[in-house]
Amino acid sequence: MADIQSKTATTESISRGPIAMQLRDVAVSFHGRTAVRDCTFDIAKNQVTSLIGPSGSGKTTLLRALNRLHDLTPGAKVTGQILLDGVDIYRGNVTVTELRTRVGMVFQRPNPFPTMSIYDNAVSGLRFNGIKKKSLLDEAAESSLRSAALWDSVSSRLKVSASNLSGGEQQRLCIARALALDPEVLLMDEPTSALDPVATLRIEELMTSLKSRVTVVIVTHNMQQAARISDDCAFLLMGEDRAGELIEFDTTEKIFNNPVDSRTLDYTLGRFG
Amino acid sequence: MSDMTELNEPVEDGHLVRDEVRRISKSVHARRVATSRLMMVLCAVALLVAAVPLVMLIAELVKNGLPQLNKAFFTTEPQTPTLIAPNAAGGVSNAIVGSLALTVYASVLAIPLGILVGVYLAESESKLASILRVIAQTMAGAPSILMGLFAFSFIVHDLNIGFSALAGSFALAVLMMPVIIIATEIAVRNVPNSLREAGLALGARNHKVSLRIVLPTALSGIVTGTILAISRAVGETAPVLLVIGGGFINQWRPLDPVSSLPLSIFENAKSQWPAQRLQVWGAALVLVAFVFVLSLTARIWATRKQQVRN
Repeated sequence: MADIQSKTATTESISRGPIAMQLRDVAVSFHGRTAVRDCTFDIAKNQVTSLIGPSGSGKTTLLRALNRLHDLTPGAKVTGQILLDGVDIYRGNVTVTELRTRVGMVFQRPNPFPTMSIYDNAVSGLRFNGIKKKSLLDEAAESSLRSAALWDSVSSRLKVSASNLSGGEQQRLCIARALALDPEVLLMDEPTSALDPVATLRIEELMTSLKSRVTVVIVTHNMQQAARISDDCAFLLMGEDRAGELIEFDTTEKIFNNPVDSRTLDYTLGRFG
Repeated sequence: MSDMTELNEPVEDGHLVRDEVRRISKSVHARRVATSRLMMVLCAVALLVAAVPLVMLIAELVKNGLPQLNKAFFTTEPQTPTLIAPNAAGGVSNAIVGSLALTVYASVLAIPLGILVGVYLAESESKLASILRVIAQTMAGAPSILMGLFAFSFIVHDLNIGFSALAGSFALAVLMMPVIIIATEIAVRNVPNSLREAGLALGARNHKVSLRIVLPTALSGIVTGTILAISRAVGETAPVLLVIGGGFINQWRPLDPVSSLPLSIFENAKSQWPAQRLQVWGAALVLVAFVFVLSLTARIWATRKQQVRN
């Protein structure tokens, strides 16, 4: 308990606006082996929160806990509390499918459905959830593709297979696909690590412009990226027992310029990791 | 100190290892080029040797088979030549109709079942799945006459249905099923997990992920495997030999005896009448053409699959 308080001490000082998600002493283990623990922080609404840290620090594991993607992994266990709008997503009155429509996800490698057209990809989430009305689908396709800055380049070829798009376009299509469900939170797992610098820049611009309509949580290996685009930043590090843990959470500005923990400073200065 | 000097010497000398690698590489270059040429020649010779019997077979098939192919060959039922009309062998329409019926019935029996079992094997980690997998793999390698014996004892004898298209298609279905199961399992397993996750992350339920994402993505692989299974079944003689009964008339009713192209070849090849023995080549050519078209279709599907991947 004392541990939790010491961690929340930093978070309380920066809780400025409304909160989208709250993490309370979250830990994830696989077959009894802890992969990440001690994660207590708040994800501010309509802000970009980045999770940074070296490989093995549990960033992706933590991110995947936020929309219960570990549910299908045998032996995976999530403890602590993750609250979405004040409701515990693991034990509260929310189904896993509903949760995933409210908390969308964009993966490391672009993964559009190869057998579907651009249009079908964009509206796939809506169709999976039983929406059939053509006018609604059309509208959602256009607005989500516009939000993902893809509409102008694909509006004339919506029926073309999504595999014909470039890597950067495919990733923006995956963002559009997630946005079509109008989620409250968008999780992004190193969304630009498979892209070239130009495509990366476009995705980064996109994230900033999306802030007004969705809360973004992004895992990134790229510290410049975290510094450029995120408002808040969580720094994780692998502990001595090889389990990742939260070292520090604060505004990005503070994490990069004036962190409390010396390990945070070492990492952001590129002294290790 | 002397140790240190020794160690340091090569470095001061320049690059001892690099120089040595270059010297060896130069000295063996000529030998490598010669070996490479020799291997190329050997490969070319092997290719020719392997191609000769194949080319001879196709040439013989076309030379003897093509003159047999005319309208009557496809449209009339066979007849037994007589001393007065030794060339009146009729056509093989009964065998074509029979082969088509057998293939269709066998496909109806084997394809849905095979695909479902294949999907189950790919998605399940259970003990039952691993047992089924071993059975499918064993069955895929089992001699095809075994399927005929089984169909004979089970359908013809035990169920007392008698010689029939059903018994033949049952034997062929048992033969096709392992091929379809294995192809489906591989195709479904090859669907990247990232696509399943993408579907789940959009709030799709498991069965929707399977039906709307996994199966369509695996479809080309499944279709390829299924077509190959069909083309194998079409040409099989042993499984149907014991159970379909044969006969000269065009008929496709499941409970009555039918003929098939391989059976007609088998029977006519033993005939005392040259006209019937010649007819065999025509039937063989039709069979090979059919299998060729099926394999070609399978290949086209397989390429489509690769394009989707890339």
